[in-house]
Amino acid sequence: MSEHEALPVLSTRSFSLWYGSHQAVIEVNLDIAERQITAIIGPSGCGKSTLIRAFNRLNDLIPGVRTSGEILFRGETIYGRGVDPVNVRHHIGMVFQKPNPFPKSVFENVAFGLRINGFRGNLAERVESALERAALWDEVKDDLHRKTGYDLSGGQQQRLCIARALAVDPEVLLMDEPCSALDPIATAKIEDLIRELASSVTVAIVTHNMQQAARVSDFTAFMLLGELVEFGLTRELFTRPKDSRTEAYITGRFG
Amino acid sequence: MRGRRTVGWVFAALAAAALGVSLVVLIVLIAITALQAGPITSMRAVSGAGISLSLRSLDIPGTRDSLAYATVAQVEAGSPAAGLGMSRGDALIEVGGTGVDRPSRAWDTVGAAPGGREVTLPVAWMPRSEVTLGALRATSVQGAPRVVLSSPSESAKAGALRAGDVLLAVGGIPIVGTRQAWEALVVAARTQGTPIELSLERDGELQVLRWDPTVRAELRFVRDPLRAWWTFLTTLNEPRYPERAGLLPAFAGSVYVVLVMGAVAFPLGIAGAVYLEEYAPSNVLTRVIEVLVANLAGMPSAVVGIIGLEVFARALGAGRSILAGGFTLSILILPMMIVAVREALRAVPQTLREAALAVGATRWETVRHHVLPYALPGILTGTILSFSRALGEAAPLLLLGAFLFVTYVPQGLGDSFTVVPLQIFEWATRPQDGFATVAAAAIVVLVALLLVLNAVAIILRNRFQRRWSG
Repeated sequence: MSEHEALPVLSTRSFSLWYGSHQAVIEVNLDIAERQITAIIGPSGCGKSTLIRAFNRLNDLIPGVRTSGEILFRGETIYGRGVDPVNVRHHIGMVFQKPNPFPKSVFENVAFGLRINGFRGNLAERVESALERAALWDEVKDDLHRKTGYDLSGGQQQRLCIARALAVDPEVLLMDEPCSALDPIATAKIEDLIRELASSVTVAIVTHNMQQAARVSDFTAFMLLGELVEFGLTRELFTRPKDSRTEAYITGRFG
Repeated sequence: MRGRRTVGWVFAALAAAALGVSLVVLIVLIAITALQAGPITSMRAVSGAGISLSLRSLDIPGTRDSLAYATVAQVEAGSPAAGLGMSRGDALIEVGGTGVDRPSRAWDTVGAAPGGREVTLPVAWMPRSEVTLGALRATSVQGAPRVVLSSPSESAKAGALRAGDVLLAVGGIPIVGTRQAWEALVVAARTQGTPIELSLERDGELQVLRWDPTVRAELRFVRDPLRAWWTFLTTLNEPRYPERAGLLPAFAGSVYVVLVMGAVAFPLGIAGAVYLEEYAPSNVLTRVIEVLVANLAGMPSAVVGIIGLEVFARALGAGRSILAGGFTLSILILPMMIVAVREALRAVPQTLREAALAVGATRWETVRHHVLPYALPGILTGTILSFSRALGEAAPLLLLGAFLFVTYVPQGLGDSFTVVPLQIFEWATRPQDGFATVAAAAIVVLVALLLVLNAVAIILRNRFQRRWSG
């Protein structure tokens, strides 16, 4: 199966989103393929973070948000009547721009999602495997209960957040500029981790760093002023952009 | 450049003045009340020796003068004073060589006497009339009152008085009544010293005797501030004698009322704030509720008392009970609680909520496991400040009809009660010597309690900052 034909896990159909009277996302059609890494790039304020937060309905928290169009997860709408956003978030996890561990022990950070989802099984085992998948196990295995999330370094905190998201076994992992608050070494570690994760989970990552998009992603979407300008294979978008605005952005003429 | 500096200085001066005034007010408040409450130690020293005093006065016949004296209103069984033979109805004449014209004179003298924790002072007292004089009979001859000693006591016999003597004057004070005859002895002993000059008619002849009916002894007083304050806090209230007044009923009443109030206002306040902050849709109704809550927080406390009276005491039939008092105060602090808890919830970073929601937590799970624990120190701080406000409230409970005057510790939620501020009010309005001191002592206790509560709030806030700023 070639990359082009991979099944879309998430697709948006003419999806628009308003904050009050301001339209932040305009008629976006986008398919996110299974077990691929899709990067969303664009200048500040282009709506890329809004779009990714729409994928697990986190925008619901903001008063005055309206949407139109559809977002389909495995063919089913996530914005319809009777859809419980809590259910959506079970399947679609998220890692945020600034590391936001819970002010609890490392273990409890990872175990929280399992506990509330009524996980019956070996909790310690699942926590260990999640931390291993997030490449953090070796660094924290001795202080699982002694250290809180806040005792870790910035890069470790972000990997803890990834482990926390992975613990509940989501099908999609959304990442909203996960490296923007980190130093280059921590960033490199996270980027490697993202590449490894793609073998087991679908990743959508928002970044304002074009090099990062080029390094880690399979597909790239370029957004500008709320619109999806261009979407395609990363190597094609960065080498042969079809739209002149994309070309202008990736060559650094604005942004 | 110069102008900009000047404005800065003006603001610095204003800020310094404001903070300085607050500090001075606090220090002066503490100093004044502590000073006013100081005599409680010597009051307790006197009552500890077994004596409770009452102020009396004697009108001098033929003049508009009156002279005050202090009777021993109560002698505690087994006390040193009882051991000396003092009893109820005696009059205290001297302590440490100072004439006692009113109860406070005795306390002040004991307080001022040189020496350490324990002092032994000479005391002089006039035993009650039956012991000093014996039985008296009042007659009148041509409208003029005559007081006849019908049956002299041992003491009177020792003073060469005989049955049938007619008492004419004591120390120059004309005798017009049986009770007054003894009072004249008391006053004369203090103002003129002993022996007292006694004019009497015996067998139709005028006689003048010199007689000292007073009893003198050494009495030990224990001046222990710690014990005085501790007894003040832990004894039942004695309504008549300030030296035996205790704060326990009021203190217990305050504690019970605040506990009931907390049991009502704490969960309701948190629930209301959590709803408004975490759940309420942003619409007109929510706005209206928010404005109402903010307005309620500024409602005069007397108005709350009227609500408490009509709703809890009358309509719901709780009467003047602790239950009604607690509910009334909870109405008072509920809006304050909601405002304080909302502040605490607003300080919880949004990213924490997002983190919990993103792993599939429901709103309630997010609130329960993350938002509330994170906000807890802030919530407790606000709660304690609201509680300390309620602890100092008198007006709503006054309107509710809480008693000013309770001499027992309430045993249940249905019992009537008083609280510390009401007890202060009651004591402060008493005319008798010494109640002002007791009121000041109760104020010291209340202020100390409030300072402790505020300190706890500050400590909680500091711990909160240390714990989460990582």
